[in-house]
Amino acid sequence: MCQNSNNQTKNPSHFESTDPTDESPTHRDLLWEDYRNLIKDMRFFDPHIHMVSRTTDDYQMMAKAGIVAIIEPAFWVGQPRTGLASFKDYYSSLVGWERFRSSQFGIKHYCTMGLNSREANNERLAEEVMEILPLFAYKEGVVGIGEIGFDDQTALEEKYYRLQLDLAKKTNLPVQIHTPHRDKKRGTERSMSIALEHGLDPSFVVVDHNNEETVKSVLDQGFWAAFTIYPFTKMGNERMVAVVEKYGPERIMINSSADWGISDPLAIPKTAALMKQRGIPIDVIRKVTYQNAIDAFAKSGQIDVADFETESKPDPSAKFHGNSILRGGQQPVMNKNSLLIE
Amino acid sequence: MANLSTNFSQFLFEQCTNKEREWLEEKVKSNLLDLMTAFVAAPRFLSKKNISYDSRSRGSLISQLTSFEVNGWNLVRLARVWLLLHLPSEPKEQYIKNIETLFDTAELNELVALYSALPLLSYPTEWLPRATDAVRSNMGFVFDSIALQNPYPELYFPEPAWNQLVLKTIFNGKPIHRIYGINRRRNEDLSIAVFDFIGERSAAGREVPISVWMLISGFTMESMIPKLFVMFSSEVQTEKEAAALVCYESKDPKIRSLLTKYPDLELSIQNGDLDWSKLEPIPE
Repeated sequence: MCQNSNNQTKNPSHFESTDPTDESPTHRDLLWEDYRNLIKDMRFFDPHIHMVSRTTDDYQMMAKAGIVAIIEPAFWVGQPRTGLASFKDYYSSLVGWERFRSSQFGIKHYCTMGLNSREANNERLAEEVMEILPLFAYKEGVVGIGEIGFDDQTALEEKYYRLQLDLAKKTNLPVQIHTPHRDKKRGTERSMSIALEHGLDPSFVVVDHNNEETVKSVLDQGFWAAFTIYPFTKMGNERMVAVVEKYGPERIMINSSADWGISDPLAIPKTAALMKQRGIPIDVIRKVTYQNAIDAFAKSGQIDVADFETESKPDPSAKFHGNSILRGGQQPVMNKNSLLIE
Repeated sequence: MANLSTNFSQFLFEQCTNKEREWLEEKVKSNLLDLMTAFVAAPRFLSKKNISYDSRSRGSLISQLTSFEVNGWNLVRLARVWLLLHLPSEPKEQYIKNIETLFDTAELNELVALYSALPLLSYPTEWLPRATDAVRSNMGFVFDSIALQNPYPELYFPEPAWNQLVLKTIFNGKPIHRIYGINRRRNEDLSIAVFDFIGERSAAGREVPISVWMLISGFTMESMIPKLFVMFSSEVQTEKEAAALVCYESKDPKIRSLLTKYPDLELSIQNGDLDWSKLEPIPE
C-alpha cells in the first residue's frame, strides 16, 4: 500500500507518512562507542519489534546493548498475504523459528497474535484468519492480542478490531493497539472508546505509536502509552526525552518497532543513553525502557522474569542437556572487525 | 490408546499437585476439541518443573517399549505426551488428521512433545514424513527431540533417512552416543559418508569428535589406510586408540595388520581395557 511509489530514495516505513520529512534521525548517528558507557549494566525490554524482518547482526548488537527480552507483534510483512496458509506459517514462525533464533542470542522472545489492520480489509481472508487465531492465542509465550487497530479506519478494520477485542477478553490477554499514522488523533480516540465499549480494562490495553498530541488522553483514560522511536515518521528520541520530562514514567514505555523499513533495533538503548545524558533519574529510565512493558504484558501470565533476569550475561554457547543449541556448531559471536572469516 | 500404560499415568500423577492431576483427568474425560486444546494450553495449568526420574522408573513407563525414556523432561512435556495418548485412534483417518493438525499449528515446545510421542502413537509408519522433517529442523530442541534418546528413528527410519539423522547429529555437534541404536544400525553407506565428512573437515582445519570413527569401524576400505597412518602418528592418545579399534575390528587383513606395529594398543583391546565406550559411552 505504498502511496509514494515514485519516491525511490527512501523505503517508506511500516508507518508510512503522507508527507515524509527530511528530519534527521539523530539517534541513528550515535555510535556504540559514544554511548556504551552510559548504559553499562542496564537491562532493556523491547515490547515491539519485528525480528522476522531483521538480521542476526541486529540480534548480536541488541544482546550486546543489554536487550534481554522482546515482544514481536504479528504484523503486515510489507506485502499483502494471499491465503490462509501464509498466515498460519507466519504465526507458527513467531512461536517457532523466530523464538528459537532469538534464543540463540540469549534474548527471550515473546509475541502477540492478531490480524493487522491493513489485512483486515481483505474480508474473505480475514474471516479465515479469525477462525485459526484462537489456536495461536492460547500458545505459550503469547503475551497479548496484537498489533490490532486502525490503518485507513474502514468499516472492515473496525469489524475485525472489535472481534479481536472480544478474543482478548475471552483469552484474558492484554491488547496491543496499533494507532494509524494518518488521522492519528481521531484514530487513537476511536480505538480507545471502542475498547472501553467492549468492556476492556484499560490497564490491559497498550496504545502504541503515541506522540505529543495523543499521550495525554491515553494516560488520562488509564491506558498504557507506548512510544515508537522510529526515524522519519515517528518519535525522535530527543522528543521522547521531553515527553518523559513532562509526563513522568508512569504507564509510559518505549519501543523500536524496528521492521523492514529504515528503523533502528537499538532505539531503546540509545534513548536510554540520551535520557541518562539529560539527567533523567535511573529509576525513571528503567521504568520506560524495561519495567513498565513487563508489568503491562505480564498480565498475560506468560512472562516469568526469571527467564531473562540473570545477573550474568546469557552465554549463547551454553549447552542444554549437554547439547549446544546452535545449528552446526555456529559461533554466536564473531569478530566483525576481522578480515578473516574462519 | 494402545501405548497408554497405568505405569505411565501413575508416574505422571506422582509428579503433579492435586490441582494439576484434577485438570489432567478432567481434560481426558472431555471432548476431542477440549483434549486437543489442553495439549496446547498445558503450560497455563501445569508447572514446568523438571520431573524427577530415577532408576526405579527407567524403562518401565511403557512395557512394550523399554527404551522409551523421559529423563531431562519437564512436567509439561510429559503431560502433553500423556494427553496425546488419549486421542481415540479409531477411525484411523480422523486420528491422523487430529495429530497432523497439532503438528501444523505447533510451537517450539509442542513440536518437541509431538516428536517425543512418535514412538508411542498409533500407526507408527504414518509419521515417517513428519519424523524425517524434524531431522531437517534447524531448531536445536526440535532436532534433539527426534534424534536423541528417541526410539522412533531406530525402529522405523529406512537406511538413507537413518544415515542423514546420524550425519546431521555429527554436523550439529551433538553427541551421537545419545542416538538410540547408533551401534546396532551401523552400515556401509554411513561409514563412507562419515569418512568423507572427516576428510572435508580436516581439509578445512576443523575437527570431528573422535567417537565418529566407531561408525566407520567394520566397514573399512583400503583407501582409508593413509588416514589411519596419520592417526597412529598423532600426538593425541584418543586418535591412536580410535585408529587401533578401527584396525582391530576391520575385516580387511591389510588394515588389520596395521595394528601389529602397536602391540600395546592391541593388548588393551584384547584385555577389554579399550573399546569405543572408553572414547564415548554408548548405551545399549
